[in-house]
Amino acid sequence: MIQQSVRIVNKYGLHTRPATVFVTQASKFKSDVFVIYNGVRVNAKSILGLLILAVEPGAEITIEADGDDEKEAIEKLVALTKNKFNLE
Amino acid sequence: MKIIKGIKISPGIAIGPIYYFERYKFPIPKTYIKSEERDNELMRLKRATSKAAGELSQLRELVLDHLDEGHARMIDAQLMALTDEEVMKEVKKVVQEERKNVMWAYFDVMTQYEKALDKTLYIYHKERYIDIRDVKKRVIHHLSAEKQYTAPDLTEPSIFVSKRISPSDIIHIHHVNAIGIITEIGGFDSHSGILARAFRIPYLSNVLEIDKIIGTEEVILDADEEKIIFNANKNVMKEYEKRARQFLISKKKSLRGQVVHESRDGLPFHIFMNAGFLSEVEAIEPSSIQGIGLFRTEYQCIESNSIPDEDDQFETYSKVIKNMNGLQVTFRTFDFGRDKFIDMLDLEMFHQDQFFDDWGGISFCLENPSLLTSQLRAFLRSSVHGPIQIMLPMVSSVDEVLKFKEILRNVQIELREEGIAFSEKIYLGAMIETKDVMQILDDLAHEVDFFSIGTNDLSLYLIGSERKSSLIKNHYHPVMFQAISKIVESAKRYQIPVNVCGEMGADPYALIGLAAIGIRAVSVSYSAVQQVAEVVGNISIREVELIADELLSADDTLEIYTMLKKFYDDNVKPGNAEVA
Repeated sequence: MIQQSVRIVNKYGLHTRPATVFVTQASKFKSDVFVIYNGVRVNAKSILGLLILAVEPGAEITIEADGDDEKEAIEKLVALTKNKFNLE
Repeated sequence: MKIIKGIKISPGIAIGPIYYFERYKFPIPKTYIKSEERDNELMRLKRATSKAAGELSQLRELVLDHLDEGHARMIDAQLMALTDEEVMKEVKKVVQEERKNVMWAYFDVMTQYEKALDKTLYIYHKERYIDIRDVKKRVIHHLSAEKQYTAPDLTEPSIFVSKRISPSDIIHIHHVNAIGIITEIGGFDSHSGILARAFRIPYLSNVLEIDKIIGTEEVILDADEEKIIFNANKNVMKEYEKRARQFLISKKKSLRGQVVHESRDGLPFHIFMNAGFLSEVEAIEPSSIQGIGLFRTEYQCIESNSIPDEDDQFETYSKVIKNMNGLQVTFRTFDFGRDKFIDMLDLEMFHQDQFFDDWGGISFCLENPSLLTSQLRAFLRSSVHGPIQIMLPMVSSVDEVLKFKEILRNVQIELREEGIAFSEKIYLGAMIETKDVMQILDDLAHEVDFFSIGTNDLSLYLIGSERKSSLIKNHYHPVMFQAISKIVESAKRYQIPVNVCGEMGADPYALIGLAAIGIRAVSVSYSAVQQVAEVVGNISIREVELIADELLSADDTLEIYTMLKKFYDDNVKPGNAEVA
């Protein structure tokens, strides 16, 4: 199991559209993937889970992955977050 | 006794208890299941979510074609929520451990998410958030044994009260005891309005004090005089009971025998019917009219909340044709105006999206060839059951007709290759209802077999929707008669038939004006057929033609209204009618 923290740099936070992109990407990995924010840990492959986190712009989240491809998962998802979810 | 006012959308009288409907409040059965039923319950959920996903994918394709990736991605979020791992896990747990039926379990889980999401709104206020209620509603619908999920069954004859009413609500409640409708929001020309009139359900809208009605035991809905009466005294109640009975009798009366189809001086005048549902066609005596002048095929989509496939369409069209016993049926290709499409989408977040404004008409179908092709295949296959015509809505260029014809030819080739029989004699018509088309009438007449004038939209395009006076409708506007006269002349030059389908043809005074400028066929809702026939049978077309010049040179709406009303009073009004 590995974890890495990353800052949300896109304009409006982890709202519907970025969350959709995030879930799509996370679902490609076999590992269990989680997002931790404000002490709450949710399944990163669940759109509704991510949305109820209500991650604000500028906030820091922790991505956690556990499984065979955990390293690749963390790398890809951190890069995606830094790249504003390829949306802006 | 207390009275509150509203605006008449559909006439009639109803007396009865109130059924207050709040959207998004589903009747969820609170039953527990046996342990051996658990797997089956979870299978049901799987089937329901995959059906809902099918619907949404179809919508996504349309949205992607017409808007942009951004709008399509909003639907992606709904699609993802449908198969959300966590939701599925939680529902499974509730079903297995608490033994709640799957609909109840799903409802509970989704409601929790819904509440949690509502709390996050303050952060996402700049971005529309996911329409989780839509997801919930779709799945519950497919889980429900009943076909409809928008409005519940009314267990006794009741007046349906709601903030607003959607076309699919009306379709549903008219089968189940609705005797009247009261809403806060809703317009005369809305689809719900057209439907309420088609089903002859009294309907008052713009009722501002709905709160006051809720909780009353019984009210009188007098749509004719635009009022709602409660705590009526004995005398008033007695009078209304009588009027309500009369209304019911008149509602049930189907026309017997053929209505006239010639004027007093023996010139032919055709009366066709507008319809949108098989049930409407099944309820009438076909021989009383001369055919269906407009069948609105997109209503089938509103009814089923999705676009029906070729076989479903084929089945409906075939039944409609068979019901008409050899009389002609004119099918209009899907006409998804903004309102209709949004009703079908039924996504709250799209309701105020101006992007949808330029959707609709034949251009929409041409841009979605697979949709058009399956509809054309259904038309052609059903044509073995009786004579049909195909009509294109909102035509604005000759090019559109040419493109359509090419697709039609390809469909014909395809069917021949497959060895499927169809009629070779299907006439093709164009609806004349946009501003652009007025400039190309002759070129268009060269390409089609008939014109049908859609007066509702035409008046919107030519005059705007603003009404100067509540009494005098837009269709008395001089511009309307001048435009229609121009259309008639063009049709005459190319010797193609022309008819009017729209509210204007059903208005007795306007009808006289139409006859004066050469209209010899109208298509109206069935409830207006009798009235139209009465006017037609009592006027001499040769006489009415004498006012054509005066009509076409008039430059004032009131002048036209007065002229036509006078002709009506002198010729049609009871008392003068015996001449016929």
